[in-house]
Amino acid sequence: MIPAEAHGTIALRASACTSCMICVRECPTWCIELDSHTEQVSDPGARRPKTVNVLDAFRIDFGLCMYCGICVDLCPFDALAWSPEHDHAATTAAGLVQGITELQTAWPPTGPPTDN
Amino acid sequence: MTSQGRIDVAPADWEQVVSGLQREGFVLFDFITAVDRGARLEVVARVINPATRVPVMVWTTLPADAAELSSLSGIYLGATWCEREAAEMFGVRFIGLGDSRPLLLRASLGEPPMRKSSALVARAIRDWPGAAQSTDDGRQGANPSRRRQLPPGVPEGFLRDNPLDSDVSGDVR
Ligand code: SF4
Ligand code: SF4
Repeated sequence: MIPAEAHGTIALRASACTSCMICVRECPTWCIELDSHTEQVSDPGARRPKTVNVLDAFRIDFGLCMYCGICVDLCPFDALAWSPEHDHAATTAAGLVQGITELQTAWPPTGPPTDN
Repeated sequence: MTSQGRIDVAPADWEQVVSGLQREGFVLFDFITAVDRGARLEVVARVINPATRVPVMVWTTLPADAAELSSLSGIYLGATWCEREAAEMFGVRFIGLGDSRPLLLRASLGEPPMRKSSALVARAIRDWPGAAQSTDDGRQGANPSRRRQLPPGVPEGFLRDNPLDSDVSGDVR
């Protein structure tokens, strides 16, 4: 049986990700890619609309990832976590690249608390 | 001996201190490696007393541009491999090391690859994912008003054709 705190794969909670790029820039193997755009949102009561980053794509290439955990440690928003899920086997190198959908599926029950 | 199994020695005392440790029972050699601190290069050896299972790390500091140290291969024969590796990876010259052939790399590759001054060529020839910026509403492409970010390990202007450098070269044809 795989313990809940096992470092099987890395999971993403896209709703917590601010597209700050810290994980992308600090990953030693350059295996994270992120696309985002900015949008203006107006809060009721705020004088001016504020600019927020909107996450469009997030990919981890598990063919390059060395499971060092630097991205998990450095994410200031707890949007990345270790998951006991095992990343899926693939028959091609490209198949080891996981996007938002796969990375969210692995979000662990024991991960940092969700706020939504 | 200092606390937590760490001893700091002058380079001149390196061989003598380690050989003293061996006589005290630290007969098991673990490893030698180095740490690049910029102008200084720290070298560390770890030895173990198998009877008590106590390890000791012996540290010394060398000037990075004249990194020379006595070899421990006369005390522990097994230190030879580690010193050959530290020599090619960090550019430490071990005086008295009988076998100074490179261990893993070809000879004369240039800058020792584990020195921070050694450019990470694989990074210079690949697009850095960290260079991407959020695109503004409805617009495509990187936001040119933001400051350009360079990846760590690639000196500025290392490769002329580096796509990261394209916005600093003025000679657009
Ligand atoms: S675990 Fe390490 S190698 Fe893998 S994505 Fe995170 S920072 Fe990169
Ligand atoms: S460090 Fe966290 S918040 Fe920032 S881009 Fe990476 S996952 Fe998103």
